[in-house]
Amino acid sequence: MPRTAVLLTAALVTMTPAGCASLSERSSAAEQTARAFLQAVAGGDGAAACGALAPETEAEIDAPCEQSILSEALTAPSPVADSRVYGQSALVSFEDDAVFLAVFRDGWRVVAAGCTPRGERPYDCRIRG
Amino acid sequence: MRRALRDNSLGLVFGLLFLIVLVAQGFAGHADFNQQQITAGLERVSLGRYLTSASFAADVAENWQSEYLQFFLYILLTTWLVQKGSPESKKPGKEGREADREQKVGRYATEDSPAWAHAGGLRRALLSNSLGLVMGLLFAGSWLAQSIAGAAAFNERQLRDLQEPVTWAEYLTEPDFWNRTLQNWQSELLAVASMVILSIYLRQRGSPESKPVGAPHDATGVEG
Repeated sequence: MPRTAVLLTAALVTMTPAGCASLSERSSAAEQTARAFLQAVAGGDGAAACGALAPETEAEIDAPCEQSILSEALTAPSPVADSRVYGQSALVSFEDDAVFLAVFRDGWRVVAAGCTPRGERPYDCRIRG
Repeated sequence: MRRALRDNSLGLVFGLLFLIVLVAQGFAGHADFNQQQITAGLERVSLGRYLTSASFAADVAENWQSEYLQFFLYILLTTWLVQKGSPESKKPGKEGREADREQKVGRYATEDSPAWAHAGGLRRALLSNSLGLVMGLLFAGSWLAQSIAGAAAFNERQLRDLQEPVTWAEYLTEPDFWNRTLQNWQSELLAVASMVILSIYLRQRGSPESKPVGAPHDATGVEG
């Protein structure tokens, strides 16, 4: 999926990231952004994947992001086990790992991905801001 | 109009001050929230978004619940407990719900008594306990609102810190919930205890919350 398509999808499904959309709409929008991001990585589309990252997260990836992101060993999206949205943040849990997202002007963006839980400690994430 | 304003000036001024301070809290809370967003590398939110957020609701509700708890306890405990020398207390020996004659209910109700003071049964029982009941319900409602909004705000911070969110029931056992609750309760209880005890020895001329300036320190239940 091209970079602009990922962003457009995120913007369209998020509709009103300020919170006017219903919780299920926001949750579904976060899921779609997380899935589109992982699919872009799995499909070798580094530009689309980097375009879905939050600025701080993208800054943590070695330049050029478009190439480095593909070597982060992120898994292709498995079925969604659970997704939770609170305010400006969301956690989409796939069967294999999890993706954290936050709301930006153009919709949901990935804050951390390739995350596995560690009890009460923060998730261990392959990429994060 | 002018007379109506004067006759209701206390309620009006407090109502107005409440609104001014609530608006100020909204602006300060918005700036604080955005500082946290920036620190986390996230985007600022609009004032409207913040005012409808769980974070703002939790901050408002946690203070409301403690204020209503304070008045609920004060209304109830001053029925049964006394403090010698305090204008906030009944005279020692008057503890309890008092006789119908003193409370002007039933056949002792006067012409200008509320209608339900004349009535018996449930209506009189409701009127007789309405102040404590409403304060208690407002406390319970505000505390419930604090727990629900607090759980959502807590979870937003959890996600921001890449941590697992909790359910509402789990949040009720979180230190965050009890820390927010107890820090408000202790300050309210301190304020009431200070008022009860300081008003024994200190005066504020003209205030009904104080004894008359010349009243002796051991005069109880005398308001100026």
